[in-house]
Amino acid sequence: MSSRFAPWVGFLVGLTISCLLALAFGESPLHVLKVVATSFLNSKYDFGLTLFYTTCLIFTGLSFAIPMRAGLFHIGSEGQLTISAITAAALGTIVPEMGPIGFFTVFISSLLVGMLAAWIIAFFKFYRKAHEVVVAIMLNFIFSAIATWLTINRFQNPNSQNPETRIIDDSYQVFKSDPLKLYFESSPVSLFFIIAIVMCVALYILESKTLFFQKIKSYGANPEAHRRFGFSSVAVLSSVMLMAGFFSAFAGLTEVLGNTFQFKIGFSPAYGFLGIAVSLLARQHFLGIMASAFLIAILHKGASDLDLETQFLTRDFSRVLQALIICSVAASYYFFAKKGKGSNS
Amino acid sequence: MILTDSAFVLLLLSTFRLSLPIMLTAAGGYFSEKSGVAQIGLEAFLLIGAFSAAASAFFTNSMVAAYLIAALITALFAQIFCLLVIKWKANSIVIGTAMNLLAIGVVPLISKKLFDSTGSTPSLSLVSSGVFPAAVLILTVLVCYYLSEKTLWGLQVKFAGEKQEALAAVGVSAQNRQWQAVTLCAFVTGLGGAMLSTYLSSAYSPLMSAGRGYIALAAIIFAGWHLQKAIMISLFFGFCEALQIQAQSNALISAKIPAEFIQTIPYLITLLALLFFRTKQQAPQQLK
Repeated sequence: MSSRFAPWVGFLVGLTISCLLALAFGESPLHVLKVVATSFLNSKYDFGLTLFYTTCLIFTGLSFAIPMRAGLFHIGSEGQLTISAITAAALGTIVPEMGPIGFFTVFISSLLVGMLAAWIIAFFKFYRKAHEVVVAIMLNFIFSAIATWLTINRFQNPNSQNPETRIIDDSYQVFKSDPLKLYFESSPVSLFFIIAIVMCVALYILESKTLFFQKIKSYGANPEAHRRFGFSSVAVLSSVMLMAGFFSAFAGLTEVLGNTFQFKIGFSPAYGFLGIAVSLLARQHFLGIMASAFLIAILHKGASDLDLETQFLTRDFSRVLQALIICSVAASYYFFAKKGKGSNS
Repeated sequence: MILTDSAFVLLLLSTFRLSLPIMLTAAGGYFSEKSGVAQIGLEAFLLIGAFSAAASAFFTNSMVAAYLIAALITALFAQIFCLLVIKWKANSIVIGTAMNLLAIGVVPLISKKLFDSTGSTPSLSLVSSGVFPAAVLILTVLVCYYLSEKTLWGLQVKFAGEKQEALAAVGVSAQNRQWQAVTLCAFVTGLGGAMLSTYLSSAYSPLMSAGRGYIALAAIIFAGWHLQKAIMISLFFGFCEALQIQAQSNALISAKIPAEFIQTIPYLITLLALLFFRTKQQAPQQLK
């Protein structure tokens, strides 16, 4: 068997272990599996919610997969999506109504903030040889603190006890009545879902057709050779991180411009980290990311219904499920590489 | 003058109190990082340690037992990490992330089973004076220092992170040393977790590690992977935390610097250190 199947076998193993673990908490594994795997079909709204999770996970999955092509381990997505979400929510309340121009101002500035936030990692990597994971961890905390401070001290919604910003101006709620949202009974899904799919397909085509992506891959495979060919390392590092920030920002915008129209502290159930699972499961393949994001979204949606459907398990089981799947997918390559023709991680 | 004398003394005392778990976590994380295993799962070890300490203190009513059980359970928990990362060659950052998710998810499930609550554990009647945690800290740090600087084992751990071929040449398995280092890391971090739930507060509450695992990691990096310096920097980061708590109650400080920003000082100065001071790479060569 080719190592292409490794992550899927790993996925099944992780799912099996999780369900068996349910046994330890006095629940029937089959019942848990049924709830987790089918609750997204309960209603149109539930299906829409699952597509909303899929959207965010596709974006964060891409945000992990693109730097990975250049050999960068990008775990800063969470911080970038937070900072661009707060930017969108803040600008959405202060930029005066200007029709489409206003909307694009908010949209583009949020994307730029996300990209800049990600580029800091490339800067540290190139100029200070600092490890990208370390810088990303520090930045995640800093961005989250900035977002918290802005929310509570500058943009707090006066009508709410929860830490959240005011609702953005009506003119920026473009996605409030888009056809997809209406079809799914005003569930969180929005046209961002279509944007995500288009991005995946576009990236897939560009990857095989452009020299740009080949350069990124050559840097990932062998930075030294890449340099000796006369290609610029800083260009590769900057461009992959700018793209990563771009997609992380989209995940934030999916929430603020497509779902709640405000910034709520802690809105993200660690999309940034789940993106790692999505990307690993798809082996960084741009089309595969769509499928794996949908799969993880189903599980995430399903596990959050365990509160109601089971006696002893709670929505926290979702975390356990995700963790076990990440572990078994990450370890699966070892077993396939031993028998197969060589490792491919 | 923002602080009165008594407030200053209080600030110093709370600095020591709050640095205890960070110092232990930094001492633990040092071994893992030094052996070449990047460790971002410290947060998980803290949570597991904190919960097992609170639960075992509740059942055994003994502080010593609580600390020991917490450290042992955390070390046991770390075996999952070791198996996946060291034996099955999975990426340590991926597994570290997964460990954090696992700890966040599994603790409420067990808590619900034991105490019928996914939130906090029952409040402990056992009150810990500062003497016992301080003694544990001093003893642990001394043992860590001894192991790392004065024993052959410590040297071999460092070689596992710097040049594994050298270890292989003398017939020592680098994998074994990494395995032992990560287990020791979890053991020590578990003690730090125990202090969180039994000394800094009197029960386990969800997500009580509050980023201290990452703060300790920042201390290790800021110190350039040097044990004694990492402990010193942890003390400073403990001071930042104490200052932040003061700022929340002291309007004069919070008017000048918001508490949210004091919270980020450890991360900010680590980034600044990477930007200005770290001229040469001091990370272990084979850290991955």
